[in-house]
Amino acid sequence: MTAKIEARGLGKTYVSSRTSAVEALRSVSFAVEPHEFVGVVGPSGCGKSTLLALCAGFTAPSSGELLVDGTPVNGPDPRRGVMFQDYALFPWLTVAGNVEFGPRARGLDKAKRRAIAAHYIALVGLDGFADRYPYELSGGMRQRCALARLLANEPEIWLMDEPLAAVDLQTRSILQDELLRLWGDADDRVRRRAVMFVTHGIDEAVYLSDKVIVLGRRPGQIKEIVAIDLERPRRGRRSSAALNRYVEHIWGLIQDDAARAIVEEKS
Amino acid sequence: MTRARRIAAPLLFFGGLVVLWEAAVRRSGDFALFPCPSGIAEAAFRRLNDGTLISAATGSLGRVLVGFAIGAALGTPLGLAMGLAPPVRRAMGPIVDSLRSVAPIAWIPMALLWLGIRGNAALFVIAYATFFPFVLNTVQAVQLVDRVLVSAARNLGAGRTLMLRGVILPSALPVILTGARISLGFAWGSVIAAELAIGIKVHSGTEAAVGVGQQMVNTLYFHRDVNALVLYMLVIALISLAIDRGLRGAQRALTPWRQT
Repeated sequence: MTAKIEARGLGKTYVSSRTSAVEALRSVSFAVEPHEFVGVVGPSGCGKSTLLALCAGFTAPSSGELLVDGTPVNGPDPRRGVMFQDYALFPWLTVAGNVEFGPRARGLDKAKRRAIAAHYIALVGLDGFADRYPYELSGGMRQRCALARLLANEPEIWLMDEPLAAVDLQTRSILQDELLRLWGDADDRVRRRAVMFVTHGIDEAVYLSDKVIVLGRRPGQIKEIVAIDLERPRRGRRSSAALNRYVEHIWGLIQDDAARAIVEEKS
Repeated sequence: MTRARRIAAPLLFFGGLVVLWEAAVRRSGDFALFPCPSGIAEAAFRRLNDGTLISAATGSLGRVLVGFAIGAALGTPLGLAMGLAPPVRRAMGPIVDSLRSVAPIAWIPMALLWLGIRGNAALFVIAYATFFPFVLNTVQAVQLVDRVLVSAARNLGAGRTLMLRGVILPSALPVILTGARISLGFAWGSVIAAELAIGIKVHSGTEAAVGVGQQMVNTLYFHRDVNALVLYMLVIALISLAIDRGLRGAQRALTPWRQT
């Protein structure tokens, strides 16, 4: 079976006329299998977001190959849905308007769009907020709205760029469990979508993922790909000894890089 | 301080000033040169009664609105094209920049030559005055569109039409509307200037084309009525205020997603 996403020797160097070239990623190789939840962690400046932008097709690789279903990525595609760091909701559209945007792009008529939006708005628990504008929502609700917008397009791959970074800890825990539920943590494996989930939180990555890609920095390179061999469903079981061992192991891999990142960012 | 006193104190102060003003003019006895509150009130009453005030105000305002609409209809598409397509921006940028350096009222003689004195010259000047703020604000508005939102729309499958109508235009709208407010301010200033410049000749012409500026010229040279002059100045200020308020309201109504 072909992998959902496959990267072979992927590299990305940003060239700008004002600054010297920055190598964000160097020879990164990995595969995301169908139905697999893959976490991506690493210190600041390790190229996590670049990796996701490459998978989304927002930017092209400088070297190497990136295949989705065996075909090279060529620009954005609604089948690869992205959830952005700061939600990226359209502020001039209501919750329903945002969720309907994908179906609208597909050319569905109004009634169908409405029905789809209502379905996903209910699914993420935003009933009664369909007519609110994003500014009227809390951080957690905006996140739910962004999730509903992603789901409404029924993408085969979910690309998530630190989606829970901007909400408080309690909300984050709740949304992690919601995400697991919607992904199909407790369901049959074949119902799950392939997910690439970029995050700062090692514990979050371990709790959610089937495997975690650990990136080092400057340039971003893979340190290790850690298979997380924990039973599903995982919802509500966020502090087992086994889970903590994975967290400690990964933290050990990036500790030095993370410390250096803090110093370099200050200078 | 109580609410009543907060409102009453400035009113009393203002009333006091008006009384002082009236007293000072009466003491000087020079009613031909100095306007006074009672005279202005009388002028207002007379011109409201015979309809000149209303027809002058609607005449000027009508011109402003038509000129403003022309400026908007031409300026916004050009701004969009310049903002979205760098080649258009490079080609049109220098032309726009050099033309907008010419003060709108400097076009009055040319406009009179081309379009005559019936009011179309004023219309031209207003359209010219509003065109450039629309172009510049629209260019800026398009360049300020959040790249992440564009990426999000592309990711959701938006084609060119949806990108323009569903993303670029709504996100540019608040900045464009702010530009519209500035434009309309310019337009109102320009119409008075244009009418002052062409007014005297229109006096014997068509009554419908007479605006506030023309009435002021008329008042200055024929009636020599300082009170009426000040009355027109007040009307200009009031309309200007009403225009800005109205556009603020329109801005709120058209962009309900903005918190302010």
